[in-house]
Amino acid sequence: MFAIKKNIPLLLKILLIFGFEYFFWLMLKITLEYIPFNPDVSFLMIKQTEVQDRPEYLSFFYTHVYTSIFVLLSGFLAILRKNFGIKNFHRNIGKVYIFLILILAAPSGIYMGFFANGGFLSKISFIILGSLWWFTTYKAYQLARQKRFKEHKQWMWRSFALTLSALTLRIWKVIIVYLFHPNPMDVYQIIAWLGWIPNILLIEYLIAKKHI
Amino acid sequence: MKILNYTLASLLAVSLLSCKKDGKMSETGKDSVIAKKDSAVIPEIYKEYYGIYTGDFAGMEKIIDETDGSEYEGSINKRISLKINRITKDSVYGQSIVNGNQRPFRGIFNESTKSFVLDEPGNDKTDGRFEVKLSGDSITGKWNAFNKTAVKSPLKTIKLSKKDFVYNPNFMLDKDSDLVDWSNPKDFVEKYTDEETGKTESYTTSKNRVASEAIFNLNASKQKLSEKDLKNLRKIDLEIIKNSVFARHGYSFKKETYRYFFEQTDWYIPVSNNVDKELSPMEKENVALLNRFIKYAEDKYDSFGR
Repeated sequence: MFAIKKNIPLLLKILLIFGFEYFFWLMLKITLEYIPFNPDVSFLMIKQTEVQDRPEYLSFFYTHVYTSIFVLLSGFLAILRKNFGIKNFHRNIGKVYIFLILILAAPSGIYMGFFANGGFLSKISFIILGSLWWFTTYKAYQLARQKRFKEHKQWMWRSFALTLSALTLRIWKVIIVYLFHPNPMDVYQIIAWLGWIPNILLIEYLIAKKHI
Repeated sequence: MKILNYTLASLLAVSLLSCKKDGKMSETGKDSVIAKKDSAVIPEIYKEYYGIYTGDFAGMEKIIDETDGSEYEGSINKRISLKINRITKDSVYGQSIVNGNQRPFRGIFNESTKSFVLDEPGNDKTDGRFEVKLSGDSITGKWNAFNKTAVKSPLKTIKLSKKDFVYNPNFMLDKDSDLVDWSNPKDFVEKYTDEETGKTESYTTSKNRVASEAIFNLNASKQKLSEKDLKNLRKIDLEIIKNSVFARHGYSFKKETYRYFFEQTDWYIPVSNNVDKELSPMEKENVALLNRFIKYAEDKYDSFGR
């Protein structure tokens, strides 16, 4: 009995790792829909107004799609805080995560937020999400350079919680559509907020309870 | 003098008559544009009977009860159109169209009884013989399948009235139409808790898709649609808005869903199983846009993704 209780965090950890791997696999499949390059496939099927009216839209879109899958992967590997026998692995993979977000994924995400489906309510959510994503990542980077590793860890968890909104948003979508069958843009407005707010609240709770 | 008067009078009468005939000729000439008749030299008679006759195509067929599997005879009713394209001394030419199945026919017209015997070619299992009678603007009679075992309902009665097919971009579904798509029920499991025993049981039930009011407001034949107009619509709405374009051009639908929706109107006359060439450039653009949204709704609405 005691052994089970002691092992709960470990079991939870294993469960989370497998869960992440499963949804990462789904994300990879979605990303691969955009290869080879085709400007009216998948999500772009309903984005032709932007594609045609804004010559820069596709560049931002592809930047976001192609970098985000590596952000997810590097973020996951870095948050495990193991070097896996490779010298400075955590440090280097963490740098990949940070620079992909700061230079490519977050700015392109914020840009796309301005043209998000679902009107004003979704747009404002995605713009806030993108900005917070950039800020938390930047803060975590600064703290690591200052060698304030405890705070670095906390801000990294905040950043990664927002990164994971890519998964949670899509999971919420499946659940909400299954339960309530709302119209497509109504789903968009709901998941735009539901995708990241519970994530960040959970991390804040864990930080407040000194679990992180 | 009297004789001269008579001759003048008779001449006048003849010219009046011919005037009347000319008038009729040009009228039927207009009809035949739709009827797509070929210009043959064989004299055509009874041009006034040319045109599209639309109405009921009813029969009995075996229906299997879904709940207990028992068989019973039920009545079915389809909408059929007969197009009479040409009547010559010894032949009648035309087409029948029902549920998207367009078949040519050839036959004879009996002048004295005003009745037709019309045969479909016979190389399709749904082919058969029409034996119908004309009275005024209506055609009644029966249809017999050549191959009685190949079709569900080999004997059908026919009740048609003459309708002029005109394309009008303003035609819309009536606001009091039934919005339920009865032909595509989706099974799902529902849970039920007995309040007395507290036991939970699950059972399978089915739900039908319901279209929204948007199908009365968006007209893809009149306005250039934008992505913004369509983004919040469900698949069924997109499908109805798209197929309204085809219905206006007289497309005979193969899918029951669309037949059901458009047969509720009085303007829908199925006249062809291919109207692609009739679409205006704007309609074509709208249909392409709607196709994209329908595909997106199909692929993405309930899946993990955006």
